[in-house]
Amino acid sequence: MSEDHDPGGDPAPPASVPRRTRRSRRAFLNTLGGAAAALLALDVLEQLAAAPATTASGATASGPPLPAPTEADLLLRMQGDLRRALARPAHLRRWAMAIDLRRCIGCHACTIACVAENKLPPGVVYRPVLEEEIGTYPNVSRRFLPRPCMQCENPPCVPVCPVGATYRRPDGIVAMNYDQCIGCRYCITACPYGARTFDFGRTYTETTPTGAPALVGRASAEGYERAPAREYTQRRPREEGASPIGNVRKCHFCVHRIEAGLLPACVTTCVGRATFFGDASDPDSLIAQVIARPNTMRLKEDLGTKPRVYYLL
Amino acid sequence: MTLGRTLTGLGAAAVLVGAWGLFDRITQGHHNAAYGSYVVWGLWVAMYLFFAGLAAGAFMVATLDLLFEVKTFRGTGRIALWVAVVSLGAALAQVWLDLGHMDRIWKVYLQGNPGSVMAQMVWGYTVFGALLVVALALAVRRPGSPALRAAMIAGLPLSLFVSGAVGALLGVQASRQFWHVGLFPVQFPVFSLATGVAAVMVAIGLFGPRDAPQRGDQLWALAVATIVLAAVKLYFLWADFSQSLYGNVPQNVAAVHAVLYGPYWWTFWIGQLLVGTFVPVAVLVQRRLARHPVWAGWMGVLVLVGLAVARANIVFPALAVPELEALTTAFSGPHLAFDYFPSAMEWAVTAGTVGLALLVFVAGSRVLMQQEEVA
Repeated sequence: MSEDHDPGGDPAPPASVPRRTRRSRRAFLNTLGGAAAALLALDVLEQLAAAPATTASGATASGPPLPAPTEADLLLRMQGDLRRALARPAHLRRWAMAIDLRRCIGCHACTIACVAENKLPPGVVYRPVLEEEIGTYPNVSRRFLPRPCMQCENPPCVPVCPVGATYRRPDGIVAMNYDQCIGCRYCITACPYGARTFDFGRTYTETTPTGAPALVGRASAEGYERAPAREYTQRRPREEGASPIGNVRKCHFCVHRIEAGLLPACVTTCVGRATFFGDASDPDSLIAQVIARPNTMRLKEDLGTKPRVYYLL
Repeated sequence: MTLGRTLTGLGAAAVLVGAWGLFDRITQGHHNAAYGSYVVWGLWVAMYLFFAGLAAGAFMVATLDLLFEVKTFRGTGRIALWVAVVSLGAALAQVWLDLGHMDRIWKVYLQGNPGSVMAQMVWGYTVFGALLVVALALAVRRPGSPALRAAMIAGLPLSLFVSGAVGALLGVQASRQFWHVGLFPVQFPVFSLATGVAAVMVAIGLFGPRDAPQRGDQLWALAVATIVLAAVKLYFLWADFSQSLYGNVPQNVAAVHAVLYGPYWWTFWIGQLLVGTFVPVAVLVQRRLARHPVWAGWMGVLVLVGLAVARANIVFPALAVPELEALTTAFSGPHLAFDYFPSAMEWAVTAGTVGLALLVFVAGSRVLMQQEEVA
């Protein structure tokens, strides 16, 4: 019995089975495994060969090869949807966003990405994540609700503006004309979602002590804050008294990114892949399929605002 | 004379305080304001509503003399118009300082949105202001002329429109249950009239000519009007609050509770009701006191204080209720709070505006009285 013992781990076979037969089965299993590996490699090679010449990131076929898009790559699919939408006239697009509340983990990455992307100063926020505690101890759970601008089809903020500084673009995005806004804040009071904030001209470094120039302290740190944001595809250095300081500001679905063929910053940074974005008028787009599900809802629908941000429950 | 000097001194002190506030506002922008992105309108907007309503109301009172020629009110038209001019100036100064870009106000005129109630209101008040100045000039230089009557006829519906527009400015907002009251544009002209009546009572009682024969009758008539309007205002208040509470819409109930039991409950119970309504009414129902210039004048001041507090209690509570419940804690930063109490800078600017308005009014009323004596 001792000569049959395999220290590698396999228990010894029963003595009634001949040794030759045992070896044949091992060889057979090895052969089977090898064949499966070869088939798998062949399949991968076939997929790579079938990949399009231009990758999702826009690199040419001469660049480093990327795995082919699959259903699991939501961002790549949405990127493709976006490119398809941009090929159509603006008035035929219907940008929409959906947020899967079951996937949101409340990490606030989208909020931070938005702040960084649009260089938002203190006190200005486009996409906070609302947190709610449900139940009483010990039966407690938490719910997270990211709240961008709803980009309403019937926005209450637009008709109240005394100078027409806020308006709906042909693609449905509710935008701000910073040079037109007088800063009366009437639109903020009209928004039922609290989705607008006023730029008071604050900076993160305003209380930072002044240090050695160009090394530490306010002078060097302030440079980042004064750098122009790219909102609405404009370049506006942050200067006292100049727009957007003194203006009302709001989420615009990162329109500057969209027009460059990129998804909004909150979508690409979503850790749980909870945020979907695209042209809802394209039936083949992911967003159109997502918002067609029966488990979607919109905030305060009773007000008739017709938000273009949907929530999946 | 003593009162005039005291008020002039107080006004001058207030202007000095206001100069500091204005300096801070111009050099620091809105940094030191307590209003923010949630409670977006603060003391200045509340005072704008108050002063603008006062201007419209004072004009309405002026029509009693200059248009309807009511005997009792003979001689009160010019001072009432002067009250309207000064208060409209104060209103526009307050709201202009509230803008994020004061330099762009011209856009409302040249690039305005006709569908916006705010734009309509700005245009209306501009025309109204011009008409006030014209009417006052005519009342001084050509009293009783057809041109003056025409100006007063044109101004009466305009005063109703502009005061109603302030109510509409708030009332059209379906997202703010506390404001979304269909009768707001109807209620505000009543509030304006109450403010105008009280202001004219102060003007006649404390600054009017001592030897005017109808002074007692005028004050008594204004006192009766004040009492009736106080009753109407209380009824409006009861109707608004009781329906809100019975309706039980959470956002609306929260706003009403903020007024009645919130951190600034005392402004409503003490400022608006006790000081601004019950005390003046208790004094003015006594005919002897109501005809007394000093008593009537100071009761008018109390009514004005109560009405100013009432404007604040319309503006702030509606904004202090989050649109979405968890918004309060969703993101923190400066100017992101649902609690509001005016900052020192805001108080200073308002004090300066009130002080300047007081000085201008006192100076102008003296000139008007001198001209009347000469005539």
